[in-house]
Amino acid sequence: MAVESIVGAKPYVTTSRRGPVTRVLENERWFAFFLLLPTAVLLGLFIAYPFIRGVLLAVTDAKVGVPGKFVGLQNFALLLNDSIFRTAVWNTILYTAVTTVFKLALGLWLALLLNRHFRGKAMTRAFVLLPFIIPTVLSTFAWKWMFDPTFSVINWTLFHLGIIRTRINWLGDPVLALVSVMIVNIWRGVPFYAISLLAGLQTISPELAEAAAIDGARPWQRFRYITWPLLLPVTMVVVLFSVIQTFADFQLVYILTGGGPANATQLFATYAYQIGVGTGLLGEGAAISLAMFPVLLVVVVVQLLYIRRVETL
Amino acid sequence: MMIEGARWRRWIFFNLPLVLFVVGLLFPFYWMMVTTVRPDAELYRPWMAPNYTPFWTLHPTLDHIRYLLEETLFSRWMLNTFFISVLATAISLFCGLLAGYALSRLKFPFAGSLGTGIFITYLVPQTLLFIPLADIIRNFRLGDTPWALILTYPTFLIPFCTWLLMGYFKAIPRELEECARIDGATRWQAMVYIIFPAAVPGILSAGIFAFTLSWNEFIYALVFLSSPEQKTVSVGITSELVRGDVFYWGSLMAGALLGSVPVAIIYSFFVEYYVAGITGSVKG
Amino acid sequence: MARITRRKLLALSSGGAVAAKTGGIAAILALRQAPAYAQGTTIHWLRWNDFVPASDEVLRKVIAPECEKTLGIKLNIETINGNDIQARTTSAIQSGTGPDVICALNNWAQLYPESVVDVSDVAEEIGKAQGGFYEESHVVANDGEKWIAVPWCVLGAQLAYRKSWFAEIGYDAPKFPQTWEEYREAGKKLKAKGRPLGQAVSHSFGDPPTYAYPYLWSWGGKEIEADGKTVVLNSKETVDSVEFAVGFWSDAYDDGGLAWDDTSNNRAFLAGTISSTLNGASIYLEAKRKPDVYLTETGQPLFQDILHAPLPKGAAGQFGYHLPMSNMLMKYVRDPKAGKEFLRWITSKQVYQAWFDSQQGYSVGATTIWEKDKLWDKDPVMLPFRTAARAGRFPGYAGQADRHAAEVLSKYIIVDMTAKAIQGTPAQDAVKWAHEEVAKIHLA
Repeated sequence: MAVESIVGAKPYVTTSRRGPVTRVLENERWFAFFLLLPTAVLLGLFIAYPFIRGVLLAVTDAKVGVPGKFVGLQNFALLLNDSIFRTAVWNTILYTAVTTVFKLALGLWLALLLNRHFRGKAMTRAFVLLPFIIPTVLSTFAWKWMFDPTFSVINWTLFHLGIIRTRINWLGDPVLALVSVMIVNIWRGVPFYAISLLAGLQTISPELAEAAAIDGARPWQRFRYITWPLLLPVTMVVVLFSVIQTFADFQLVYILTGGGPANATQLFATYAYQIGVGTGLLGEGAAISLAMFPVLLVVVVVQLLYIRRVETL
Repeated sequence: MMIEGARWRRWIFFNLPLVLFVVGLLFPFYWMMVTTVRPDAELYRPWMAPNYTPFWTLHPTLDHIRYLLEETLFSRWMLNTFFISVLATAISLFCGLLAGYALSRLKFPFAGSLGTGIFITYLVPQTLLFIPLADIIRNFRLGDTPWALILTYPTFLIPFCTWLLMGYFKAIPRELEECARIDGATRWQAMVYIIFPAAVPGILSAGIFAFTLSWNEFIYALVFLSSPEQKTVSVGITSELVRGDVFYWGSLMAGALLGSVPVAIIYSFFVEYYVAGITGSVKG
Repeated sequence: MARITRRKLLALSSGGAVAAKTGGIAAILALRQAPAYAQGTTIHWLRWNDFVPASDEVLRKVIAPECEKTLGIKLNIETINGNDIQARTTSAIQSGTGPDVICALNNWAQLYPESVVDVSDVAEEIGKAQGGFYEESHVVANDGEKWIAVPWCVLGAQLAYRKSWFAEIGYDAPKFPQTWEEYREAGKKLKAKGRPLGQAVSHSFGDPPTYAYPYLWSWGGKEIEADGKTVVLNSKETVDSVEFAVGFWSDAYDDGGLAWDDTSNNRAFLAGTISSTLNGASIYLEAKRKPDVYLTETGQPLFQDILHAPLPKGAAGQFGYHLPMSNMLMKYVRDPKAGKEFLRWITSKQVYQAWFDSQQGYSVGATTIWEKDKLWDKDPVMLPFRTAARAGRFPGYAGQADRHAAEVLSKYIIVDMTAKAIQGTPAQDAVKWAHEEVAKIHLA
């Protein structure tokens, strides 16, 4: 406040005459208002408003080309009875949980490896991020070809290494299909985790570890008691964003299996798409998507609380 | 991380895992390259056939690439995607800069809840939004034009850019602005001429992230675009190269490879900023 | 599409007069002016990626220019993966803009009756001129009161099989397993030799339903009674069929089939990994097109070793479901008249002939006159396809092929019924599940 009054009082204004607009913008609150206006408009128009419309859609029986009438929670009741929906919910939770654990573990390991000095470090770091950079759709196609039942290169390799006798039905066996989808997701996500955790690792001063070593701590103890706790804030943030993304994942499953075989890899997003856009049952499709939201909210809130707790440690 | 002990320990604990990681992460790209130049006759030999050399080919061919560039609208898709990504990034950066500044350096009521609000929008699934969005797009007559995407992409880019830039802004000392304002600058001038230049690395990072995310987007592009000339690379390749016929894996991989090139190039120029961006944001 | 002036309407109806009047395309190009009457009239036609690529070529390189010349309409043909057509249609209808004419597969048109133009006039005309439509084509494109689409073609589906391999186990051509039990025995022997049968049991629009539905019908199972209300899927016949299918699968089939799309069996057959599969004629035609690329294990051209046969008989008979296609004219188009003109023109005999020839028998016309076409005299291997469409039943049997049937089809319930059982669900439960799903749909 004091600063403002000084500024207002200064006679030697180097800028042009302070017109009414400038004066308004000087007010902190108005300034903030105008700064936030474009964002508010865009997000309001293209998220808030459609979100409300989406919610409204979920309580009607709209079909493509037919506006539909209000049916209350009927769509949700239908969904609870729909075994495919229940499968999709379970799949999504399993998918998110398993991939997150692996991405974290492998990402951390890779980050620890990249944290050392070695020749070609910069280039390796750059290359290692590639799976994350490349458009998901495109890299998933490469994987689809690698998993192909008749022409898979992975099968060829394993066969010739003597590890398997007959081919592995990556995308045709329901359990394996889910595994395959997870593999591709982990492949995509590990670089992101690795680089983020690497950034976190680099903020930990090496003296700490050295001091502990001098005191006789083994590598594993050093990691557990020094590195890991210091890394926790970064880890939680990365995990949070990753969970949100993975939960709503669409592209990967859409390209690799389309939700099959027999819905074994069906996720929230792919099922919503199949019902809403594929079969044209817009009301039901919206209900599926909407059902995703509370579950996601709970997951996020839990994580945020955990982060807050960790940060105050 | 120190690995004490003999040389062999270093090999097992460091070199070997690292090599495995790199091979695992990069093999699909190698596979894409090999498939792109592999002639069809070789492509469709089953995995158990003799003389099958999956890892290399002795008769490389440019047919697939040629097909891709001549028979499909691939170049057009690249242009479309580029155009859309650049504009969407520009809009998002603009909004993100302003919003990030406001949320991190200004005091005003509801600042906290607004920040949370922006974050919450990140949670809303695209599959819920695209049908109502289709209605809005229709009312504004933006259907089947790049503008449908240019205006909707910021919905997931802005929260991310804002969050990223907030991290950078928070690290800039308050004194900078106060000095400027004592010298007579308006808030606006202080922001634009003092603070923004100090956050250029953050701006570059946010820009690159936004560009990558736009290039990568799929659902909205799938639903809002229909004419072949309007499609983006991801949608074009999926819909026009996944054909009923036997022969398109080669071109598909060629498309996948070429479609990744622009992003890879930009990335290679700015990898420093990219990594720094993630670094800065997770620290913030 | 631009508004069409009266002059253009007259021009359209008198075909050749147009060209004469303006001195032909060359003169127009010389003037660097589009014909005044056809300023900007475009029709965007959305179709699937044809399994016979030559036909898409014909459409683009021969028929489209012809269309421009005769009708003054610029034809913009877009082809996408068949599995994506429904999604595109939904988003087009919702956003109020998109392709003008969409070629719907199966009975998908029944999902969009409110969003298409009534094309009864065109359909009736074509039907009368060409000897009437097949029953299958009629029920999927007609909602009982009006025509919601103009039938385009019917893709015949037959079992394509390796002549020499079946001969080895005792089936010298033209003998072929007649019943499911025989076919299973044959498959068992073949799989033991590393040459299993192949079938897609997945969420793909073509092969899975064309196998699953006739298979069900041949055992006596059906979705619903003729009254359209009583769902009867859960019956002894259905459960028997599913139980048999499970054993059949492990005995004789390539188990990759659960993840196959419509192209996988083509590739597998052409690569020599399966001995027989239900498909359109695309496998044979592709092998014939490239005789030096596709060879048998003895080095002979593969196409000489391929024959076709219908699906085996079951206790209740022998059936087929042949994939019908029909063109919908979307309601959101600005000028429905031009759309109808186009449909009338493209389904007319002379124009359709060009396309039909390029298909080489892969599809038959939706009208019966195409059975008499000279094409069928050319290649005896293709003969089983000629009358394929006559015997077709349609999903939703024994009720109507209406919106509910279309929904059951789009959700792949009948296909999943078998898929689930193959993956371990007891047959009874799988059938019960399918029955409940179908009932739910019919209740809505």
